[in-house]
Formats: sequence, structure tokens, C-alpha cells
Amino acid sequence: MKGVKDNISESIEKSMLEFAAYDSEAAEKAGYSNYSYWGSTFRAFLKNRVAMSLLIVLGVILLFTIIQPYLPGQFEANLVIDHPITGIQMMNIQPGLTNVVETAEEGTLLIVTPWENSEWAAVSNLLLTIPSRKDFTLLQYGDDFCQVEYDGKNGYVKNDFTTKLKLPDDYEDTPYTAKSNLAVKMYTAPKEMTNNKGNELFVKKSSLTINDDGTAVTKEKAELRLLPDTRPFLFGTNNAGQDLWAMVWSGTRTSLTIGVAVAFFQAIIGILIGVLWGYVKALDRLLTEVYNVIDNIPTTIVLILISYIMRPGVSTLIFAMSITGWVGMARFVRNQIVIIRDRDYNLASRCLGVGTFRIIFRNLLPYLVSVITLRMALSIPGAIGSEVFITYIGLGLPVSIPSLGNLINVGRKLLATSASYQLVFPTIVLSIITISFYILGNAFADAADPKNHL
Amino acid sequence: MFPESYSKEEKALAKYLLKRIGQSLLTLAIILTVVFIMVRQMPIDGYFENIDKLDDAVIKATLDSMGLNDPLLVQLKNFFVGVLHGDLGTSTRYSAGVPIAGIIASKAPISIEMGLLSMAVSMLLGIPLGAAMARSKNKFWDKFGTVFIVLVNAVPAAVYYIYLQSYGSLALNVGMLFERENWVSWILPVFSMSLGNIAYYAMWLRRYMLDEMNKDYVRLARAKGVDSKKITMRHVFRNAFVPMIQYIPTSLLFTISGSIYIESLYSIPGMGGLLVNVITKQDNPMVQALVMIYSCIGIIGMILGDILMAVIDPRISLNRKEGAR
Repeated sequence: MKGVKDNISESIEKSMLEFAAYDSEAAEKAGYSNYSYWGSTFRAFLKNRVAMSLLIVLGVILLFTIIQPYLPGQFEANLVIDHPITGIQMMNIQPGLTNVVETAEEGTLLIVTPWENSEWAAVSNLLLTIPSRKDFTLLQYGDDFCQVEYDGKNGYVKNDFTTKLKLPDDYEDTPYTAKSNLAVKMYTAPKEMTNNKGNELFVKKSSLTINDDGTAVTKEKAELRLLPDTRPFLFGTNNAGQDLWAMVWSGTRTSLTIGVAVAFFQAIIGILIGVLWGYVKALDRLLTEVYNVIDNIPTTIVLILISYIMRPGVSTLIFAMSITGWVGMARFVRNQIVIIRDRDYNLASRCLGVGTFRIIFRNLLPYLVSVITLRMALSIPGAIGSEVFITYIGLGLPVSIPSLGNLINVGRKLLATSASYQLVFPTIVLSIITISFYILGNAFADAADPKNHL
Repeated sequence: MFPESYSKEEKALAKYLLKRIGQSLLTLAIILTVVFIMVRQMPIDGYFENIDKLDDAVIKATLDSMGLNDPLLVQLKNFFVGVLHGDLGTSTRYSAGVPIAGIIASKAPISIEMGLLSMAVSMLLGIPLGAAMARSKNKFWDKFGTVFIVLVNAVPAAVYYIYLQSYGSLALNVGMLFERENWVSWILPVFSMSLGNIAYYAMWLRRYMLDEMNKDYVRLARAKGVDSKKITMRHVFRNAFVPMIQYIPTSLLFTISGSIYIESLYSIPGMGGLLVNVITKQDNPMVQALVMIYSCIGIIGMILGDILMAVIDPRISLNRKEGAR
């Protein structure tokens, strides 16, 4: 027992038992708290790592969406890209970081298609086409390409379902005569240097030695491109021959415009009606009854009906979604206003003769800023999703206005094919945007809740 | 107004129900009027199978015979008389001349079956998920559920429906389209339709259970040494479950909007797919009729939810309308 007492007396510092002097500064401290609502809100928000990283991601995406058309090396959205010589649309080109299809080693024999251009030459390695049912000599068998001779020329033909070569049973015992029921393309090398439609590729003239007979030999390692242009199709092209990268960002712009506009109008209408409903007691009963009527109608149905009656377009969609979405906001604002309307500080303001507008804008609405922001943040992904839905049921934007809904609706049919990237890219961009808005909105609401402030 | 034998509470309940039903009928009348007037503003193409081939006299005669050149109020009166007799008009483009009521009657059963099934599935999966999340706060189930809820709420349904259909049908080894006889092909549409509601139920049940767990009676039970599993199931879950009933009407609305998409995605011969179909064919009378039917279902759902709530939980005051829903 004694030991314990000793320990206690040892652990107490002598200074703690002395009288404190009067300190005027310390006396001031007691009654002062440096709590600031927005300061605490931002501090709480900054602590949320997931929200912060999503904020950065979303900021980058939004910024990029805005500046994308002004960046160098971008295709125009909606521009149908044709092959410069044949005029065939450059459809369903797989995504890639460059538009280089083939790299030709030094000394590769290429066939030049006559085409007026000072910088680029249109080339392929397609020597000639052997007509159907014509005999040719097969010099060397291969599982992918066979070396053949036809019309005095030496070349390679493909050996697959596109050529269906008729070969003898002992097909490795070359040379022999073969034929096909199909027209067979003969290349200068055992590979196909053409685009996915079998058309010419483009190469810089400076890396070729062009002969008079329409052939050319590469002077150095040469890059054969899809277009006389170095811009890549980062997201490939869609089935109309448009650059999907440009389409996706253009669509994101449209969808975000719709989302932001809808959030804005919903907030304006919702706050206006909510304030009237909550503050003006004479209107309470009427507006409550109106609310009960409107709230009973499924919003999807209203959305469908309005889009059906009006012409499809961005403004129709914004109108239809704003008119269905304000109800929730109005009820919310109303409930909040009813709670704080008759608090003492408002009563005092009224007694001092402050005008109704000033009370609403100075006393009431600042209380609601955080929650209104939250609802606006959540209505953006909602509006983007509704656009996808409305487009699916055939009431959305015309195809000439790219939107994420349009792109997804087109890509939907291609998911099971090799062109599935046409669905995947728009959905990835869309999901990143909607998930970020959703999580950020909720994180902000948590941060703005004074219960979570310390 | 009521016989003496009824208690005060029962009288209040009956009064509330009468008022609620009256309110719904009024709502319904307003909606029908608004929809009717709005559809009248549409171009007249939607009343003909092929307007380009007809001359003006025929068009006018047809419109006259349909009563579309009458004053709006007369049309409205005729329409309401028709609706009260169960006559919704005839289809014009979808299948010309066939009474709409008949078409819808043939399509409704499968939609109802699917809708009810999906609501059952969403409760069977959503409620255990919510309870599991509340019990394992910050552990696996809570984290899993949170991710699930965020994904389902944030990613547009239209997007994950497509992926579910494509990869789900591969995994289950069924065709992409619905076949009524093959029960396996019911799984994907019903499950897709339920996803939104599963997340919804789980989210709210978790929140209510966590609120309930912080109450004094739970603390007392814990202090007495009652098994924590027993507390969760006997006390917390039961009390948290009651307010969940108010989400049934909203989940019905979710099911409706989900079914419009799902039915046309899987080619299910129901009303939702029919709506998409008649919209693309611009069949005005059919769109009008279907929009009205869907509004009615919405309203009936809401009123059923309110009644259920009033009957099940006696603590709720019927005279004051609760702001929370």
C-alpha cells in the first residue's frame, strides 16, 4: 500500500500544486471556439481518401471532355472516315495506340496504287487476283500461306476458309497444280498488308523507291498506316466508320450537358416550389395535395410520355427530366424549411421587419446549401442513366447527336462479337462518371453533416 | 357515421382509408385527363396504319368516325365513359382495329407473374443482405453489400442489364431471349429486374437496424446477457422490419420501370415490351392506354403500401401525414 502512495506522489509534478497566476489570454480562450462549418466540412471531406481520388479522376475527365475537341490530333465527332482511294468507310477498326498496321522490313516489295499525293503513297502487297477456277502452280505448302506461281509471277496466297484451295491428298509433295472455286488474292509476301477491308495502306513516299512498273521497294523499315495520317484510332472506329474516341467524348459532353442542365433546373424549380410550400403557410395545404397527386405517378411513365409527345432532342430530354425530378427536391426543401422557419433567429428577423425574401435568401437557404448540392450531384448520374433508358426505348436523341445513350444502344448489339469494344468503351466512361458523382455526392453529404464534425 | 361497436382506433383507420382511396381516385382522374389531353397534341399520323396512301377526305372521315374532330371536352367525356365500361379504344398501328383491352389482357399475365416473382426475389435476397450487413459492420458482408449498393445505384440499370444478359446467358447456357416453358430462361430477367430492389431493401434495412441497435432496450438486453444473435433476430430485426413496408410501393415502381426495359431486352411478351413496341410504332391509342394502366398500377401500389403500413404498425398516427417516404 505504501509503495502505491509513493508512486502517486512521485508522479505528480510539483508545478501542478502551485497556484496559477491570472492569465488574461487564457481566460479569453475558454469562451472561444474556432469551429467553422465550411472549414470542418472541407476538413472532413479531405480526410476521405476514396472521395478525394475520385474527385481528381472526375475533375480530369470533366476537364478533358471540355478541351478534347481543341487538342491536336483529334478526329471530328460524327465525321465518317472514308478510305481516301476507294471511298469505303473505315468500319470496325480495332482500337489501338497507333494506326500502323504493318511494319515492312527494308527491301519489301509493295504494289503502289496510283494516287495524287506529294507525301504519302497508297500501297498494298496485293500482286494480283487469280480468277476463280483457274489453275496455278503451288510451289511451297504452308498452313497459313502457300507460295504459288501464276501468270509468270511468284507470290503467296492465303490458305484458309476465305480461299478454300483445292489440294491433292498428298498436299505436301510440291510442286503441283491447284485451284479454287473462289477468286484468290496473291500477295508479294506471306502476309497481308491491307486494311480490314482488303484496301490499300499508306506509307511515306520518302521511305520508298518507286519503280515505273507500279511496284515499290522499301528503302528502310517502313510503317504502313490505315490513313495518310498519323492520328491513331484510340477506341477504334464504329460500324459507321466514325472515330469512337471522338464519339465517346462528344457523347460524354452531350450526356453531361443534359445531366448538369437537369440538375440545375430541378434545383431551381424544386427550391422555388419547396420554399413557397414550406414558408407560405397559406399554400401548404394546396401544395401538399398537388404533391400527393404528382408523387403517385411513376416518373418513368411521365418521362416516356413527354419524350413521346415532343420531338426527340437535347432540350426535350432536359425538359422531360426536369419536370419529373423536381418533386423530390421540393419536398426535401419544404421539410427543411418547415423545421427552421420558426426558430428564434428567424422570428427575431421578422420582428425587426426583415423582408420575406431576405429571410429566405439570407436566413434559410444557406442552411440547405450542402444538402441541395448533394441532391444536385446525385441527379447528374440519374439524368445520364435516364438518357440511356429513353434512348433504348427509342425516344432518345437522333443518331446524329452522339450521346452515351446512343453509343451504348448501338454497341449493345455488338457485345458478343469482336466489335464489343464499341460497347465497352462508352460503358467504362459512363460508369466512371456516374460512380464518381454518386460516391462524391454521398461523401460530401457525410462531410457536410455537423454530426460528423469534431 | 360508424356504429358504436367499433373502437376509436378502428374508426380512425376507416376514415383514413376512405380519405386515402378518395384521394387516389382523384389523382387517377387527374392523370387520365392530363394524359388524354397530352396525347391529343400528337401529330395525327399515329391514328393511321399508312397515312401517306390516304387522301384528305378519307383521313377526315376516319378522324370523324373516331371522334377526334369533336371538341376536346366531348372527347374527354366519351373517353371516361369508355374507360368506365372497360373500353380503352382500338389499336391503330400495332395491330389495326383490335380492341386494346383485349391485347393488354393477353399480355398482362406474364408481366404480373414476373413482377411478383421479382418482388419476392428482391425481398428474399435484399433483406438477408441488409441484415447481414448490419450484423457485420465494417466486415466482409458490409463491405460487399456497400460495393454492391453503390454499383447498382450509380451505374445506369440499362448498362448492367446488357452485360448480365450477354454473359449471364453464356454462363447459364440458355438463349439470349426468353422462353416461357424453359424455367432457366426466367432466371436472368427476374434477377435483373430484382437487382435495384435488392440494393434498395438492403440499404434501408441496414440503416434501420443500425439505428435500432443503438437504442436503450437493446443495450439493456445486452447488459442482461442476452445472446447477441437473439437480440438481432428477436428485437432489432423485428422492429427494423416494420418501416420497411413503406418501401414496397416504391419497389413496385422500380419493378415497373425495370420491366419496361427487361421485357423488351429479352423479348418477353408482356406489357413492358408492348409499351416499347407501340412507342416505336407510334400507336397513339395504345401508348395512351398503357401509360394510363401503368399510372394506375403505381397509384394502387402506393395506396396498398399506405394501408399495409396503417394496419400493421399501430404506432403510426393516421391523421398526420408522415413526411418521410
